[in-house]
Amino acid sequence: MDNIKTRGQKIIKAIIKQKAVVAVLVLLILMIFPDTNFYSSYNLINVFRSISVLEIIGFGVTLTIIAGGVDLSVGGMVSLSGILVIKLMDYMPMVYAILCGMLVGAIIGVINGFLTVHQKTEPFIITLGIGMLLKGVSLVLSNAHPISCANPVFVEISNGLLFNSVPYLVIYMLVLLAATHFVLRYTKFGRNCYAIGGDYNVAAYSGINVVSTKWMTFVISGVLAALAGILLASSMNTGSPNYGDSIPLLVCCGVVVGGVSFSGGVGGAFQSFFGLLVLQLLSNCMNMIGIGAYVQHAIQGIVIVAIIWMDCFADKRKREAV
Amino acid sequence: MNMGTKIKKILLEYLVLVFIVILVIVTAIAEPKFMTSANLNNILRQFGPLSFVALGMTFVIIGGYIDLSVVGIMSLVTVVTVSLIDVTGQVVALIAGIVMGAAMGLFNGLLLLAGGANTQAKALFITYGMSMLYGAAALIFTAGGTLHMSWLTTPQTVFAAIGSGNIGFISVSFVVFLVCLIVLHTFLSATHQGMAIRIAGGNKMAGELSGVPVNRSLVLIYMLSGLMAAIGAIVLFSRTTMANPAAGKGYELNAILAVVLGGTSLKGGYGNVLRTVLGVLLVTLMANCLDLLSVTTYYQTVFKGSILVMAIWLDNRNKQQGGE
Amino acid sequence: MKENEPDIILSIKDVYKSFPGVVALNNVSIEIGRGTVHGIVGENGAGKSTLMKILSGVYTKESGTIIFDEKKIKDITPIQSLHMGLSIIYQEFNLVNSMSVGENIFLGRFKEMDGMRGTHAKAGELLENISSSIDTKQMVSELSVSEKQMVEIAKALSFNSKLIIMDEPSSSLTADELKRLTQLIHQLKEKGISIIYISHKLDEIFDLCDVVTVMRDGNVIDTKPVCEITRSEMIQKMVGRSIENEYPERPHCVGETIMEVRSINTRKLHNISFELKKGEILGLVGLVGAGRTEIVRAIFGADKAKGHQVILNGEPIRIKKPADAKKAGIGLVPEDRKLQGLVLNFPVQTNIIMASLKKPTRFGFINKSAAKEIAKRQVDNLNIKTPSIATQVVSLSGGNQQKCIVGRWLEISPRILILDEPTRGIDVGAKYEIYLLMKKVVENGGSIIMISSELPEVLNMSNRVLTICDGRITGEFNPENTSAHEIMDKAIG
Repeated sequence: MDNIKTRGQKIIKAIIKQKAVVAVLVLLILMIFPDTNFYSSYNLINVFRSISVLEIIGFGVTLTIIAGGVDLSVGGMVSLSGILVIKLMDYMPMVYAILCGMLVGAIIGVINGFLTVHQKTEPFIITLGIGMLLKGVSLVLSNAHPISCANPVFVEISNGLLFNSVPYLVIYMLVLLAATHFVLRYTKFGRNCYAIGGDYNVAAYSGINVVSTKWMTFVISGVLAALAGILLASSMNTGSPNYGDSIPLLVCCGVVVGGVSFSGGVGGAFQSFFGLLVLQLLSNCMNMIGIGAYVQHAIQGIVIVAIIWMDCFADKRKREAV
Repeated sequence: MNMGTKIKKILLEYLVLVFIVILVIVTAIAEPKFMTSANLNNILRQFGPLSFVALGMTFVIIGGYIDLSVVGIMSLVTVVTVSLIDVTGQVVALIAGIVMGAAMGLFNGLLLLAGGANTQAKALFITYGMSMLYGAAALIFTAGGTLHMSWLTTPQTVFAAIGSGNIGFISVSFVVFLVCLIVLHTFLSATHQGMAIRIAGGNKMAGELSGVPVNRSLVLIYMLSGLMAAIGAIVLFSRTTMANPAAGKGYELNAILAVVLGGTSLKGGYGNVLRTVLGVLLVTLMANCLDLLSVTTYYQTVFKGSILVMAIWLDNRNKQQGGE
Repeated sequence: MKENEPDIILSIKDVYKSFPGVVALNNVSIEIGRGTVHGIVGENGAGKSTLMKILSGVYTKESGTIIFDEKKIKDITPIQSLHMGLSIIYQEFNLVNSMSVGENIFLGRFKEMDGMRGTHAKAGELLENISSSIDTKQMVSELSVSEKQMVEIAKALSFNSKLIIMDEPSSSLTADELKRLTQLIHQLKEKGISIIYISHKLDEIFDLCDVVTVMRDGNVIDTKPVCEITRSEMIQKMVGRSIENEYPERPHCVGETIMEVRSINTRKLHNISFELKKGEILGLVGLVGAGRTEIVRAIFGADKAKGHQVILNGEPIRIKKPADAKKAGIGLVPEDRKLQGLVLNFPVQTNIIMASLKKPTRFGFINKSAAKEIAKRQVDNLNIKTPSIATQVVSLSGGNQQKCIVGRWLEISPRILILDEPTRGIDVGAKYEIYLLMKKVVENGGSIIMISSELPEVLNMSNRVLTICDGRITGEFNPENTSAHEIMDKAIG
């Protein structure tokens, strides 16, 4: 009897530690009360559809943060890859166009890694600059207009339905979720990322190739952001240079909610998943209740500030403990 | 040190000047329209709002931090000030706008101090969140619409003066800018508190252990940034005669670009306001030259992004070699 | 007969290593026998940690030979050293706090261990072998110091180490935990593993070690079996040295009490209370980590310690931040001048006037010539060698950098000047100048609290010495009629 009790207590304790999951549950429970379409399958699938792109980006960004860096160029990358791929489809088969798009993501990742890991520049501001550059390129390519795609197959990539109900986009996201989780938990590369983020020097002393591992996280982040942009363009059947505008900071806040820490070495795929889910769900719930878009923005701002502030404050307490 | 090495040293220090000169020469040759008084006037006018915001940003960066909330501050100050004109008259509205900007900046500073934000990264995210909040407040205030100053009933002579008036040859806004520049430069380089800000940016711990008011400096730099953003917003809407709730868009990155290009280091402690002026000049000139050369705005964004990245990269390399 | 001849697992011969301004290892030679516990003792700065860092691959030696397990070691990396069978357990531990025990033990060897399952299984085995019941899935940050040590030992065993170096292993252990460690060390010894045991706790050296080497000022003074040396002899070898005219005549200006410190209690410090007299140089002696810097930081308001009292001239004063201390006339020259003392990219002038900005200030503006005056004055008075006061302070030598910080505080004519390791990393000439400065301060009526890890320095300059051990004041001495030996004894605890 006691064994079951303490085991149950342990499980409950573990769940409470995951504040994002709790927040999601709270939101889900709260939404039972007002009379909305929240629990319709249409809405739930929509929620998943809208978060899938963000989540995919989030997996890449999570990787970079765990290893001690951060990739804020993802916004620009998302805009660029969608536009690039749609344009390239005028010259080559769709599959090649998509591969090119992802290749560009990899190249940008290499550049980011070079600047951050090899040249030891502060990641957050320089990746922000790269993001600005990428957005500029997307503006040039698209002439600042959203461009639509003529190829009907392209739309199917994201919007095609599995079992006639679940969009492929969501499936990709779930697959990537599992893959990221697997890499982070069960592969040498993933565990090394935690080591590097946890303590760069200890990791180096233990013979881990810190430079190439950390560099690689940027490459992966670039590829995933590119993929996300392509899938987004597919789901909207349009590429727009404005897609990526608030993405990087939103994603970072989401993963922090989920438990990733900017000091590195902490976090996980599922944690980030739930963190981003909370933010998006919040948005969706507010929509359902009929809260205006601007008020939502304000609330998002407050949530972001509150979460990061609390993270900082906890850090401060630790620093000043005497 | 002979004249030659002295000049070389100054040139390296003020690399931005070199670029400006090169840019001017190249454009003047490629596009003769550059050197007309109409165009030069154009440049001076474009100089406006960004220069104020960049001045404020300089303080934050020298102090060792960064401020992304200028966007939101500009937006909110714009809509509130314009809305107040009919209610309280223009003078009060003007003062209220400036005070509001300073107050929002002050709040940012206190928030960061209370939370113990000791890195640029933490300040980046928190000020971004505040920007969202302020910006959303602006949108809520006007329900998304833009207020046209021509709809107002109260005369707006002050704002008209700021926007397009002249004192002799020079525009009013330029005079205001010069005044701000002189005041801020003097503040940073010649006062006790200005020195405290620079020390706090150079080595916060050493400053604190020497009794330098580093905490006060943190709050002050954000207050100044907010204040300058407010002035920039006022100059902007005086010119466009419209209160756009998304007024601040793009100003944060451009301001940072101007500061970095001017040679002020992102690491803090080094730099001055005059450099930023040169940085703004370079940014404005780039836009102007590229416009004349018929380069679209979009290519300009690419150009700007590349320059920003390179400037940050070089700044980092420089500091690594020199600072140890 | 082979049995009587101890096998040598590690042979260090004539190893030399220097850093700018100081010789860390001066042709050091030691032999470590297989299956022995070999203690190394010496004061702070004797060269122990430099030697260990060379063995573990962090530093490279400049000359000399090192032979480990009959293989010559030359320019190895830390991971190579581990694979050879040489492990080191640092006092601060080489663990990633945010990861689990099992993963830390096999850090970087994930693949070879068959993934997570294999890692935890093997880690569990290793821990069991040393009778530890730590859960391998626990995060290292949740472990006690003793448990972290067990993890490090398990890590060493996972590399089949033949030699394990332990640097100050018992500094945070309880008596019980120390007993367990002792048992474990005996266990390891029986398996034929050698241990180098670096410690200040001489009792432990006698308990655990077979042989002990005494180091001093980068030299090996002696290596003897433990049964052939007494505690007294050991201390004598640790501190005994010939003192040429390294120090000026000790000042004697001690007057009445001017400051009382009462009951500093923090996580590290326990009931610290003491007095300081006018014109006195008070020395704080203790091992690294004993709490000396914490004491002065608490007084200065640099740490947020609460509940203690500082009474100056009979008046209790509130010091909540360094600016308050400055106002009360207290100055602090911090331990790490590069990180905490100087703004490296700034000119000498700024670094000097930093604490006295109010002086040349009128109506908020700094009078540039007055500021220059102040800087020039200090440069002249302290004989600071710099091309000009506009030179970046980073290009000055260590001694001159230190003088800038001292000059910064002298400018406010402090009543009490606290010096934390004032002559660390400074050449002999500059050291003497700093001693003269200290003398001048007290001759002008100021008081000095001096923290130094160089015992002779403290003993020759102080009027009174407090020994600090494990966060407590363990003794109060007059260095003029107490031997270094006695004082060191109390500092070691």
